Amino acid sequence: MTGPADVIFYVLAALTVGSAIFVATLPNIIYAAVALLFTFCGVAGLYVLVSADFLAATQVLVYVGGILVLIMFAVFLSNRISSVKLSNPVHFRLPAAAICLTLFGVLAYTAISPAFVLKQEITYQPTTARIGELLMTRYLLPFEVASVLLLAALIGAALLSRPDRPDIPRPDMEEPK
Amino acid sequence: MAPISIDAAALLTSVQSIVPEIIVVATAIFVLLLDLAISEEKKHLLCGMGLLGIGVALFSVYALGQGRIEGFSGMIVHDGMGAFFDVVILSACALTFLMATGYSEWEGTHKGEFYSLILLSTSGMMFMAKGTDLMTVFLGLETLSIPIYVLVGFHRNRMSSLEGALKYFLLGAFASGFLLYGIALIYAVTGTTKIPVLATMLYDPRILASPLFLAGTGLLLVGFAFKVSLVPFHMWTPDAYEGAPTVVTAFMSAAVKAAAFAALIRVLLVALPGMQPVLWKVLWGLAVLTMTVGNLSALVQNNVKRLLAYSSIAHAGYILVGLVSGDVLGGQASLFYLLVYAFMNMGAFGVVMLIAQKEDEGYDIANLAGIGFKYPALGALLTLFLISLGGIPPTAGFVGKFYLFSAAVKNGYIWLAVIGVLNSAASIYYYLRMVVYMYMVTPDVEVAVPRPPRILFSMALCASAVVVVVLGIIPRSVLEIAERSVLSLLM
Amino acid sequence: MANLVSSIQFADPYFSVLLLLIIAVGMSVGFVFLSQALGPRKYDRIKYSVYECGVDPFTSASVRVSVKFYLVALLFLLFDLETAFLYPWAVLFRDLGLFGFIEMTIFVGILLVGLVYAWKKGALDWQ
Repeated sequence: MTGPADVIFYVLAALTVGSAIFVATLPNIIYAAVALLFTFCGVAGLYVLVSADFLAATQVLVYVGGILVLIMFAVFLSNRISSVKLSNPVHFRLPAAAICLTLFGVLAYTAISPAFVLKQEITYQPTTARIGELLMTRYLLPFEVASVLLLAALIGAALLSRPDRPDIPRPDMEEPK
Repeated sequence: MAPISIDAAALLTSVQSIVPEIIVVATAIFVLLLDLAISEEKKHLLCGMGLLGIGVALFSVYALGQGRIEGFSGMIVHDGMGAFFDVVILSACALTFLMATGYSEWEGTHKGEFYSLILLSTSGMMFMAKGTDLMTVFLGLETLSIPIYVLVGFHRNRMSSLEGALKYFLLGAFASGFLLYGIALIYAVTGTTKIPVLATMLYDPRILASPLFLAGTGLLLVGFAFKVSLVPFHMWTPDAYEGAPTVVTAFMSAAVKAAAFAALIRVLLVALPGMQPVLWKVLWGLAVLTMTVGNLSALVQNNVKRLLAYSSIAHAGYILVGLVSGDVLGGQASLFYLLVYAFMNMGAFGVVMLIAQKEDEGYDIANLAGIGFKYPALGALLTLFLISLGGIPPTAGFVGKFYLFSAAVKNGYIWLAVIGVLNSAASIYYYLRMVVYMYMVTPDVEVAVPRPPRILFSMALCASAVVVVVLGIIPRSVLEIAERSVLSLLM
Repeated sequence: MANLVSSIQFADPYFSVLLLLIIAVGMSVGFVFLSQALGPRKYDRIKYSVYECGVDPFTSASVRVSVKFYLVALLFLLFDLETAFLYPWAVLFRDLGLFGFIEMTIFVGILLVGLVYAWKKGALDWQ
């Protein structure tokens, strides 16, 4: 460890990887979801560390704020929720370990392989404005298509999760008392 | 920072290059809002407005012609190929709307969302077919997929519909992930996502040999293979096709396949000719596997929708045969076949839709018994579409297969052509089995009473039949357009 | 220890971040342990019993929640994503001028149609 940046990196990396291990191993799925929150936050911190400020903000906004809420509700919606103590059982330990180790090997090899060109001089500068500029000029089309995509998703979500007849509540679902 | 200057002329060209897409999206939004404003009895207006929009979009494709218009700093291009696929996709969309006039009323899909989602999906397909940047292709793919996931599960009270939607959604999400990861890896190696720029990058042997690039290309192919349902990435197809409302199945089989193949053809012919020495082995294997597994599975199906689903897998294999060589001849044959396939397959689904009284149980093959003589028009139409799918002259299906396999022979892939012809022969068995049921099997109880088609529905069937027959007899001009379209890619 | 302290470059821009991290984590963790250590401890059966708003619970707390919550979460996520796009645009608003405004108007307008649709169809109603 040479500087404060390295200390911060290792703290954040430990947070990310440590909570990811909890996500995978905790038997209670609600606890696993909360651990996922810390993983997401750790990743956001790592983004800040490599000066990707926009990514970090998006990570917090979308993943911590949105996706995690969605995951929580998906958990609440599942009907196995009553046996919550063992809702996230661990299966296939050995094959999973083999796959993970292989993936780790491939990624580690790739990360240190010469396929990526390392820049000698790194200048950190805010990226948001640059991203905004590209979004509004070169990537204008994908930007506008994204709104069409979001519209389609919105219609689909509203269509699929709305009860058919609003006056008759479905019998199998109840509001929490 | 200096104010960002916008080139007005470039912007105008950009907008011009996506006029058909803009019209489709605008129609989708208009139909969605119209649905909120009008009463329940006037819902047929939605379909009419949608058809009008498709008509205007088709006209704008015609007006733009086959000239090359690049837009949005190389994100999208309107060229011969784009125009060709715009026509295929818009035709499939129009046929879907025409068929929906009857189907929606008896199956309760007569909702504004149905038409808007089909149109939004169509716009995504067109973006995908015209995208010259992997980002546009990916966004197009997502815009086409998400409405389709919803449409497959449109019948929320039918278990099979929900099951199909869930399977399609989960596997489709994985496929999108593969595709995106592939794009990311390719970007990591080459620093670009533009398809034409990628082609020039491949002159560098270091990039070609880079394992990251190979992995990226592989993942990209896997993503496309999921969408066009190549074996072994076809698992979702029978369930999704069986569960979806039949109009949606017809739309999926024709339009989604065309759009995904359009992007695949663009990537293969423009970006990856440098990889041809490696790639053809992969494509060869995929084509053989897809044709064989699709046809063999179709042999034992008793549900007409599942049978046509496996037949559509087999057809993806035939179309891939044209892409193995990566030359103009094969590409032209694939384009022609995609057009023909859209019409004959949608026609077949249309007739089957009328004969089947209800979703699920109505699609048993025994339900076809005795239809042939009692309802001669329907029997004749279905027979025509089926022999075209089987590749028997004088139908367009025969011409398409002839060009596909002869392109393979001319490029030296003799065995591929032999396997293709054998498969095609095997497929005739199950297509004719349906015809036999219609004409030669006496029904156990009574002959099923088909639904009387609406005028627009009959128009859709007749139009498909006309295309299948006319292109079977005089395919020359369309083949030439297909050739020009492929050539426009390589300019 | 002296070696470690001297090896830290105080001028490093990350030093303040590290300091903030240490103080923030230290304080929050510290307070938890402090209350453990300093607070009086009284254990009895009543204190450990389960209750809801002061009454004994009469059903299991783990019921399936209505799908309505999920719809709200989904709608929230979609507009959350919209915000993610607004953010880089807002940073550049002055430089982009009218053109950028029109671009964003189209983007937001298309999503607004979705909102109008969801609203009219009663997706936002809580029956």
